[in-house]
Amino acid sequence: MTSRRQLLQLLSAVVGASAFGSHARAASSPWRLALPGYRYQFPRDHMAHPDFQTEWWYFTGNLRDQRDSDFGYELTFFRQARQVAPDARAAWQTGQLYLAHFALTDVAGGGFEHRERLNRPGPGLAGADASTGRVWNGNWQAQLTGDHDWRLQAVDAGFAIELDLRSAKQPVLHGENGIHQKASEAGRASHYISLTRLETAGTLTVRGRRMAVRGLSWMDHEFFTSQLGGNQVGWDWFSIQLDDGAELMIYRLRRRDGSIEPLSGGSYVHPDGRWERLRLEDFTLRTRGVWTSPRTGGVYPTAWDIGVPRLHLRLTAQPLLDHQELVSERRLGPSYWEGLMQYQGTRQGKSLSGKGYLELTGYAGDVDLSGQERGGLTR
Amino acid sequence: MHRLKLFHRVILRPMLAQPSRGLLTFVAVALGVAVVIAIDLAGFAAAGSFRSSMESLAGKASLELAGSTGIPEDTLGKLATLPIPVRFEPRVEEYITDEASGVVTSLIGIDLVAHAQRNLVLGDASGLEVLDHPRAAWVGAGLGRQPGDELRITIQDRSETLRVSGVFQEEGDQPGTNRVVVVDLPVAQALTGREGLLDRVEVEFPEDVDEAAVRAAVSAVLPAGVELRSFGARTDANRRMLGAFRWNLRILSGIALVVGAFLIYNTISVSVVRRRGEIGVLRALGVTRTGAQALFLAEAAAFGIAGGLAGAALGTLMARAAVDLLAATVNALYVTSTPGAVSLSAGHLAASLLLGLGVSLAAAFAPAREAGSIAPVEAMARGRRDYDVRVNAGRNALWGALLLATGAAFCWMPPVDGRPLFGYLATLLLILGTAMLLPLLITLLNAAAQRQVTRLFGVEGLLAARSLTGSLRRSAVLVGALSTAVAMMASVALMVGSFRQTVMVWMDNQIQADIYLRAAAPSSPDNYPPIHPDVAAALEALPEVAAVDRFRAVSLMLNGKPATLGFGDSQLMRTQGRTSFLPGQDRQAILTRLPTGPYVVVSEPFSQKHDARVGGTLQLPLPSGPMEVTILGIFNDYSNERGTVFGDAAVFAPRFPRQEITSLSVYLRDGVSLDAGRLAVEQATANRRVLVFTNRSLRAEAIRIFDQTFAITWALEAVAIFVAVMGMAGALVALVMDRRRELSLLRFLGASKPQIQRLIYFEAGLLGMLSNVVGLLLGFALALILIYVINRQSFGWTFQFHWPGALLLGALTLIYAATLASAWFPARVATRLNPIEVIHEE
Repeated sequence: MTSRRQLLQLLSAVVGASAFGSHARAASSPWRLALPGYRYQFPRDHMAHPDFQTEWWYFTGNLRDQRDSDFGYELTFFRQARQVAPDARAAWQTGQLYLAHFALTDVAGGGFEHRERLNRPGPGLAGADASTGRVWNGNWQAQLTGDHDWRLQAVDAGFAIELDLRSAKQPVLHGENGIHQKASEAGRASHYISLTRLETAGTLTVRGRRMAVRGLSWMDHEFFTSQLGGNQVGWDWFSIQLDDGAELMIYRLRRRDGSIEPLSGGSYVHPDGRWERLRLEDFTLRTRGVWTSPRTGGVYPTAWDIGVPRLHLRLTAQPLLDHQELVSERRLGPSYWEGLMQYQGTRQGKSLSGKGYLELTGYAGDVDLSGQERGGLTR
Repeated sequence: MHRLKLFHRVILRPMLAQPSRGLLTFVAVALGVAVVIAIDLAGFAAAGSFRSSMESLAGKASLELAGSTGIPEDTLGKLATLPIPVRFEPRVEEYITDEASGVVTSLIGIDLVAHAQRNLVLGDASGLEVLDHPRAAWVGAGLGRQPGDELRITIQDRSETLRVSGVFQEEGDQPGTNRVVVVDLPVAQALTGREGLLDRVEVEFPEDVDEAAVRAAVSAVLPAGVELRSFGARTDANRRMLGAFRWNLRILSGIALVVGAFLIYNTISVSVVRRRGEIGVLRALGVTRTGAQALFLAEAAAFGIAGGLAGAALGTLMARAAVDLLAATVNALYVTSTPGAVSLSAGHLAASLLLGLGVSLAAAFAPAREAGSIAPVEAMARGRRDYDVRVNAGRNALWGALLLATGAAFCWMPPVDGRPLFGYLATLLLILGTAMLLPLLITLLNAAAQRQVTRLFGVEGLLAARSLTGSLRRSAVLVGALSTAVAMMASVALMVGSFRQTVMVWMDNQIQADIYLRAAAPSSPDNYPPIHPDVAAALEALPEVAAVDRFRAVSLMLNGKPATLGFGDSQLMRTQGRTSFLPGQDRQAILTRLPTGPYVVVSEPFSQKHDARVGGTLQLPLPSGPMEVTILGIFNDYSNERGTVFGDAAVFAPRFPRQEITSLSVYLRDGVSLDAGRLAVEQATANRRVLVFTNRSLRAEAIRIFDQTFAITWALEAVAIFVAVMGMAGALVALVMDRRRELSLLRFLGASKPQIQRLIYFEAGLLGMLSNVVGLLLGFALALILIYVINRQSFGWTFQFHWPGALLLGALTLIYAATLASAWFPARVATRLNPIEVIHEE
């Protein structure tokens, strides 16, 4: 799923555009492209794919404690490969960089916390280790505990999670057999896998208060090498877990001229685990309300009307908390909004509801998404 | 208003009428205060602030990890994944020299990739250029470089070139003081040759996290030899250690102030004596006792405030001049120091005002009380007070003797909190006691010498001698001031002279090898840059060389105090060296036994600081785990004050993960000349940045460092003596003014101008002679206290007592000459008096 490119952008800023981006460089790139014909195999494909330049594991979830208070979390791990001189010392080599984000939404308490980390592998500081099934960045980690099950542990000043995720469904392979085309040329695509219904139980600690929580998580895992063109300015991405057992993922790439990238789309996952691909023409999106960030001035469309006529599905999307903006304080990357959502609506007249996450990028200032220039680092 | 007018009439007007007298007192106070402030400011900048450059870029850590020879970097991986909300900041640190400017500073390696995400802002070039330029460095603004510049540094025994990627300033930095060089962690590891090792890990966590829990979790993954301690423990220990050093300097700097106090006392006394008549009239007109007293206290206060203010300004200037000298001393004796900037704080300004005011008021208290006690009737009776002093001389002497006895008794008291407080008290009591003995001493000496004086110098001599006993109190005060200055000078000369002589003898024993080598990078007793092992091998291969001793020094913390562990070839030391042990210890036996087990010998300062005895044991925190060693002997050592533990390389080297050398001693084959040997060694090490010393040049270097260390002491002494001599000149002027009538009468009675001049010179000469004799005696006593009480208690060194004869003789002659010279102006004043006018005044 391309929706995480805001963070990808951050990485590109960190490593410089040279590693990413232009076609000319891509041609001489030592990394594989995402091309049709890839044979997926689990749990192998839950782990790292060093042949590809960029990879991420993206966990979001909605949780509820015993007093029915709502919480949301986001824990993401990014891997970015670079070309480095071969004589660099192994431990501190910068051939692989690991970025991670950790955010927590406390709906009742009105709190939203987020943290960011960047590390090279170093002497075990960060990495993705297939032999132990572990992806980690410092003391934030995701440990594979079954074919598709995970255990998440993350600790930071003020908040922590310790969650067991059991997958109720087989992995969803988006696009055409997991090849997710982003632009018309071959290879301008990513491998995109989702675990859309992860039954979650564990503990959550907020400001010293530790509580037992249950809920649903969603994992996206994507790996690829190529980049998109330079005409896109941002995107809107929805993950929706409905209470009838189905899930919906849709996203829309916005172009500089205001038009929508025709390759935008999504997937619908039936309660029995079957899924079908959605194309741009299969759904409608209409903004119902905006939130203006007092910190960045970004105007985010956080409330939506969503329609999927083919599935007779109509939903309204409302954030559970307005200020779920991840503000980059370190001049490294752009700010974006990623937050816990409440969905209400009907399918064939029957009312239904759900929860999920919404990601909105490119609203707080003009963001270069192509990686053609260096990012905020040198600004 | 009324008071002010009175102050103006009685105090200010006469003072302005004779500005030279007031000026001298003011300068004395100002100098006294300035010296104290200067030493404190310079001491703070050189040692006290001790925000060593190594502490740059420190976060808000409350704990830190450190190992005497580094922390295996694998530990960091284990720490980083601990499920506790703690941040671990790895650091690799080394002292370096910026070759272009000669500035000594720190190279700090931090994880710049992880830091890019954190709140550290390395100036404008905060890009991760580190990823693309393996020699990228970020430098503090104080180094005066621009991005893109090349930076050549001396690190350990090599030169390296870095490329400046950015210039930064830390919050709270004084402009231009940050000279730190920051590189990415692996770059620092490569530059220091410590691949796979970290020097320190800072442990940061939020306040609401339980420190005990953090300690428990962290300790569980620590390898042997890595210590978890409070952040800044090393700095605190250094600061405590430097505390004693600064304390001693402060005491020394106080001497000038004490001398100044004598002069204030003198000035106010003279002021009171001279205005007895006026005071009598005022009292008759209804001014109260306290009113009269307040007038003279106000005079002292005026001197105090003016002197204090001027002292603060002068002190700041003097501190700027002294700070590098002090830093050199700290470096030579204690830890690597990069001095901070000297700036006068509000606190220091207040302190100097208080000092000036306090000392002035305290010194003026007795004469002011005397002014208050003047009854109107007495006003006419001049000289009564002087008579009082004479009759009380016996009682004063009794008190003086009591003070001396108490002072002597204090010499046997133990130190308080590691500081020789009783030793200091003893010196103060000795000075005060001597001052109180002076009136009697002067009377006795005069009586005994009067006949000889008359015979030798004729009637002028007789008159001069009589005048001394006549105005006994004033002469006692003058002799007190000058003899105190002389005594301090003499005692410090004796102590430093003894120290120097002892060190020279010790070096003759210690320095037995022909050639010595160490890395050219900055070093000090807490920091020993390594020499590459290839250097030792290359030297051993030389045909000129008979043997090479590889010595390694490691800085470690023992019982919360920094110390040095050194090890080398003890058998070479036994056969070639002449290291001496404390009396009663068999050198041969001790050194023979040293390589046979967990044995060490310790230096004398170490035994004093750690209360270590022969046969006792020590727990050494080594990388391979704690090691219990037995102390076989205590050796004389004057190389550093922290204390050294020495063992055999065969015992200790295997307990360190990597073999390093910090200095090399080269023994040449018989028949090889020193020049030839040195040439061969220099050629063999031409590609290295190492310092090569011959036996003789090392001695010269050591003595140079020694003398530099005590340069500041001499400067302080000089100021005290200057103040005293100046006070003498001022007092003599006052004397002349006071005795205008007497001198004029002498002229009337037929005395020639040269005779009057001789009279004044004789008086000055007598005062100077008395001061020198008393000062030398007192100085000898003080030297004994300095050497055997204060030095022993604060540093733990043993000195052989040594009279630096030529130095003392020279200094005393100089002081005597200065005293005589100071009589030049008053003598001229005396001859210019117009007898007729003076008599008319009366």
